Amino acid sequence: MPTSPDLSADIGEILLTEDEIQAKVAELGERISADYAGKHLTLVSVLKGSLPFMADLMRAISIPVRIDLMEVSSYGGTATESSGLVRILKDLSASIADEDVLIVEDIIDTGLTLNYLIRYLRGKSPASLRICTLLDKPARRLVDIPVDYTGFTIPDQFVVGYGLDYGEIYRNLRFVGVLRREVYASGAEG
Amino acid sequence: MTGEAAPSFAHASEAEMARILDFYGIRWEYEPHTFPILWNLEGGVVESFSPDFYLGDLDLYLEMTTLRQRLVRKKNRKLRRLRELYPDVRIKLFYARDFRALMLKYGKLALADALTGSAGQAGPRDVDVEDPTVAIEPEPVVVPAVQPATASATITGPAPATAARRRRRRRSTQRANQAAMMTPDRSGND
Repeated sequence: MPTSPDLSADIGEILLTEDEIQAKVAELGERISADYAGKHLTLVSVLKGSLPFMADLMRAISIPVRIDLMEVSSYGGTATESSGLVRILKDLSASIADEDVLIVEDIIDTGLTLNYLIRYLRGKSPASLRICTLLDKPARRLVDIPVDYTGFTIPDQFVVGYGLDYGEIYRNLRFVGVLRREVYASGAEG
Repeated sequence: MTGEAAPSFAHASEAEMARILDFYGIRWEYEPHTFPILWNLEGGVVESFSPDFYLGDLDLYLEMTTLRQRLVRKKNRKLRRLRELYPDVRIKLFYARDFRALMLKYGKLALADALTGSAGQAGPRDVDVEDPTVAIEPEPVVVPAVQPATASATITGPAPATAARRRRRRRSTQRANQAAMMTPDRSGND
């Protein structure tokens, strides 16, 4: 949990500044606008971490787009009980059949959640299904997933901000930073 | 593995990984294949490697190494041999730091501390006895005389020594799981 009312005090290093993020989002928006010109594009964002990225990216895209939101449960098992299976907490609001779908992710690390989502969305018969992520952390990858649009490839560090959280906090930081180890180490002891 | 009886895991972190894979619908098998990696002059297998998990859908082996440093070094050596002999086999090594990062991502860092290192593994006697290669370190002479250079070696069933190793593992797993459950906030010493 935060060690200070000032969230930035818990950040050991700013990895990506607000300006760097916005410049990259604008660049991605231009590429996506060009690639999908004349098509029916639906952006599918995965709550909650990708909300800021989605909000900025959709405004950086110049062609008509639909947006939709999904939320899936995250793993939270313990040593003593089964945590069951991943669940769709919020499904798409509209059909994506024959639509060109672009999944908008905040970060891809293990690829486990995204792998599940891809399988799920493919079952809804989109015309195409591609992936856009702001951050890619390949060092943690378990499931190899081809990513079509990548903002930044980042080192193997625990990052927060711009939608990314630790214990649901830090999402509202305007930059992406490395969380100081003491913050989560103290949480583990508690 | 969903729907089948869980195997006896050698380490509590492996059981946790199995739960994570189940959660995300990734099919897995526990130590289904044994790869010979060292032969004596008569062509007998003197050392083999059984990766912890095989993820059939991804054609990927996963080896967990949340163990003491000495054993990690040994496992790294085995992995190098495996990659030399079986270049087409895709395997990912999952170190203690990887496991901790995964648990941090899921807000379960305290659980990682309980499951890594000595708290989650078999006792020293079990570990030393279970793997005879400890006794022949430093590096044994590699004699791939009988095995074809490409080692397209059909993946075999467990080597003779593996059955006894598994019996010891079964005994130690229950003990390891109990330790993890009894000491949820204990720091690991990996």
